[in-house]
Amino acid sequence: MSSPAETGDWERGRRRTGLLLVLPALAVLAAVVLYPIARTLLLSFQRAKLAPGGLQTEFAGLAQYRQMAGDEAFWLAVRHSAFFTIGEVLLVVVISLGAALLLHHPMGRSPVFRVILLIPWAIAPVANAILWKWIYNANYGVLNAVVTGLGLSERPVNWLGDPSLALRMLLLADVWKSVPFITLLLLAGLQNIPSYLYRAATVDGAGAWNRFRFVTLPGLRAPLMLAVVLQTIWSFKVFDLIFVLTKAGPADATLLLNFLAYRVSFNFLDFGYGAAIANAIFLIMLVLAILIVRGFAPRRSAGAQGKLA
Amino acid sequence: MNRGRLGRVGVGAGLAAFVLWTLLPILWLVISSLLRTKALTSRPPDLSAASWTLGNYREVLASGQALGPALLTSAIVSLGTTLIALALGSAAGYALARLSIPGGDRIALLVLATQMFPGIVIVIPLFIVMSRLGLIDTRAGLIVVYLSFVLPVVIWILKGFFEAIPPELEKAAAVDGASAWNTFRLVVLPISWPPLFAAGVFAFIEAWNEFLFAVVLTRLHTKTVPIAISEFAGQYQTKIGEMMAAAVLASLPVVALAIIFRKAILRGFAEGAVKG
Repeated sequence: MSSPAETGDWERGRRRTGLLLVLPALAVLAAVVLYPIARTLLLSFQRAKLAPGGLQTEFAGLAQYRQMAGDEAFWLAVRHSAFFTIGEVLLVVVISLGAALLLHHPMGRSPVFRVILLIPWAIAPVANAILWKWIYNANYGVLNAVVTGLGLSERPVNWLGDPSLALRMLLLADVWKSVPFITLLLLAGLQNIPSYLYRAATVDGAGAWNRFRFVTLPGLRAPLMLAVVLQTIWSFKVFDLIFVLTKAGPADATLLLNFLAYRVSFNFLDFGYGAAIANAIFLIMLVLAILIVRGFAPRRSAGAQGKLA
Repeated sequence: MNRGRLGRVGVGAGLAAFVLWTLLPILWLVISSLLRTKALTSRPPDLSAASWTLGNYREVLASGQALGPALLTSAIVSLGTTLIALALGSAAGYALARLSIPGGDRIALLVLATQMFPGIVIVIPLFIVMSRLGLIDTRAGLIVVYLSFVLPVVIWILKGFFEAIPPELEKAAAVDGASAWNTFRLVVLPISWPPLFAAGVFAFIEAWNEFLFAVVLTRLHTKTVPIAISEFAGQYQTKIGEMMAAAVLASLPVVALAIIFRKAILRGFAEGAVKG
């Protein structure tokens, strides 16, 4: 066997190689992720407008954050984003949990179901948006054909043109696209719950509901947390759908924070204020993610369980 | 006995509802792409034999609207992004998994944390810098920017795989005098094709479907497929059949990849759930 000195050399050599191997990837990420993040932070404290001859910046302190606090469009977008995110997370997680339980049932184990799920997941979000634009079409859309055919409404509904409906229709289209991923995530979680736990619960006389309540739900804690965190982040990132379906209209009825930051930056070319809004979005997402992770943390009532977490 | 049958009927109905909810919109998309626009806009839709056509696809591919060039651009950009991400990501993933770099765990977490940032935070400065460098509306520019969201995912998928390789394999190579680099190159990489492929499929799909960066960073020459079809939908609202054909063409490559490599992808989901 090798002497300790040789082992030390060997370890050092591996470490040096390791640094060389990890460096290119880190350099790329520093250039395309870390630098932009830092620059956006800086920009949010600068007035920055694109003028002929390049970007002109001048220090503005907190002025743009104050501007944001008094900006009606910003607060409108905050309300819409809150509605959209809460609605999407609730709908997606509940529907996906139901679907995952169905697919975990012996009758739902066929691989065909999993293949079906991969289609909406893989489909391009823009293609999804165009599809729903057609489904919602006020004159010829299939949704109106169904609604009037069933007698639910006498006249065709202008789904995307009605300010009180448009955001909900966007929500529905995004829920449809998001359910498959979360379903597969929860399904994988279900498969990791040891079956002896169910047998033990049955022996103890637990019915279907109690097995769900005391075996399934606790067993799904980690994947459920992941699902809620990921879906929250993704709800804030929705962009393609708004761009294709409504461009934030009618009358800003579908203006979400992400689209507002885009519009301010690239339509109004006000990069400083756009950066301030973008930072606000990140802060909101970060706080939400921390709250969710805390909310899912195991209760430490028994004391003994604390260490397991 | 009776309850069991009732339960089975319930599960069956639930599964049926689930399949309908998932497939009906897709079915309608495909049907719409195969019907003449006139048939689509009559009420009720005219589904007689004469209404079916492949003309929508021919129009979309041949017309000046140029889904063709966009398909080429998307293929080059997505493939380029994927290959570079695999090259850089496999090296970094191996180093983070195996080569005990100082602060390795923290670096890995930092890589993951970058994914928390919404694209809009990143794209504003990138637009400014790339305008100055003349990289707006170039494929190279898009590839570099796409690495920002593809590379971290690839690193994490591959890191998870490398961690699961039995250490005896590398020890045996070390006893034979192989350096870490040669061990990685000659022992580890050759048995890593399946995870490299899985990570590559994920990367390709993500890059192919990306929209926000492409909207901001392309103008005329490097429109990707999502940009081309969104513009098409904006300009030709009445050509519904062609719009749907374009949407099908845009989705076909990635849906096909997802179905062909479903095993690798589903395993990816499973591992994500365990680690979460």
